[in-house]
Amino acid sequence: MRFDPDFAVSVVPTILGGLGTTLWITVAASLCAAALGFILEILRRSNRWLGYVMRFVIDAIRSTPVLVQLYFIYFVLPVYGLTLPAAASGVLGLSIYYSGYLAEVFKGGIDSIDAGQFEAGKALGLRRRDVIVSVILPQMLRNVAAPMGNYFVSALKATPYLAVIAVPEMLGLAMEAGANSFRYAEPMVAVGIIFLILALGINFLVRQLERRLQAAHER
Amino acid sequence: MTSTPSAPAVRIAGLQKWYGSFQVLHDIDLTVQPNERIVICGPSGSGKSTLIRCVNQLETHDRGTIEVNGRQVGKTTPRMHILRRDIGMVFQHFNLFPHLTVLQNCTLALRKARGMKPAQAEEVARHYLGRVRIPEQQHKYPGQLSGGQQQRVAIARALCMSPRIMLFDEPTSALDPEMIKEVLDVMTDLAREGMTMICVTHEMNFARTVADRVVFMDAGRIVEQADPQTFFEAPSHPRARQFLSQLL
Repeated sequence: MRFDPDFAVSVVPTILGGLGTTLWITVAASLCAAALGFILEILRRSNRWLGYVMRFVIDAIRSTPVLVQLYFIYFVLPVYGLTLPAAASGVLGLSIYYSGYLAEVFKGGIDSIDAGQFEAGKALGLRRRDVIVSVILPQMLRNVAAPMGNYFVSALKATPYLAVIAVPEMLGLAMEAGANSFRYAEPMVAVGIIFLILALGINFLVRQLERRLQAAHER
Repeated sequence: MTSTPSAPAVRIAGLQKWYGSFQVLHDIDLTVQPNERIVICGPSGSGKSTLIRCVNQLETHDRGTIEVNGRQVGKTTPRMHILRRDIGMVFQHFNLFPHLTVLQNCTLALRKARGMKPAQAEEVARHYLGRVRIPEQQHKYPGQLSGGQQQRVAIARALCMSPRIMLFDEPTSALDPEMIKEVLDVMTDLAREGMTMICVTHEMNFARTVADRVVFMDAGRIVEQADPQTFFEAPSHPRARQFLSQLL
């Protein structure tokens, strides 16, 4: 079977029907993963015993396949009475999965902040949470912009996993187009190129952000 | 705050501290009265910085008692952060917040800890930036200032909280020689205004002119305390004599 460029172009609108879903899931999962990862890392630092527990939680999240986590949320939790819509399950699954990795990124970002910054905040009489939010968080974000951006791209590329729990994202629609026409090469190439463009776009934005933060640092 | 006006600013009794099996502070007794200026000096590693860091509990102590403004402080003191608001601290390496402007460095704690409105906090901050003689740099970032300017901002930041005591932990040790004077001048002004101060410093001229009392530490102990004249003219302890002979 020869590759048919016209057919490839013709399936693009169908696939782009899932663009909105793919994008909002990526954004929602990235933001939730960052928030959750930050909370995990802050709890890990708060005291010794909670530290051990959080260390285990972070490692456990990172050490189980994302598909297992997704299946668990979508197929197992309903057995125990918690049924979430497919898209919400997908956002939850990706958020949890990437929170483990982002917690590690944040650990490095916080470790590289001078201990004098915590002390200065403390000495001024700030509450721990004010030190964390006003002193540590902004400096950490500056340190981790690049690796955090990588995980956002990674989250984008993980959205096709959600095809297995029937979320109408782009890979799912491409598969459908393939099944309807018995031609898979064209939809797969098309969806691959769309992901490539999106990922390069996010990379570009992250690099811009990094440059701006860097400039702020050198002020 | 419910401390009585006659209470010492700081009262330290029988203070001991270990790092693991190494004892850094041995039986420290030190009382500082309100408006008193204390200079703590001694060779490096003698425990000077550790001692003043115990006063605001950046370091916890293992035995003995510390009272600040009539309140006992320690590992289990609840709401220590509120007590710290009355204890200003200036660090050797300034520790300004690099992501905030000079003005924001000064207003952060006023807004977050004192609950002030931004406009009011900025007014307070400008007042103290004027007092440390850098009113014109308020919109710059710390990285754009010289070391001496940064340290003066750090002093202003601490003063904004209207502390009852100021702790200085080697405030001029990280500065280029030509910037030391501008920082010491600000500290001298502060002393003249009656601020209660505990300064760890090697600036013996400052000690001579400003201190009410010089405390000399060696190997985790206070081995001599005296008024500056006695300390510099006739130190009684051989370690103090040796230390001074190396400095002067």
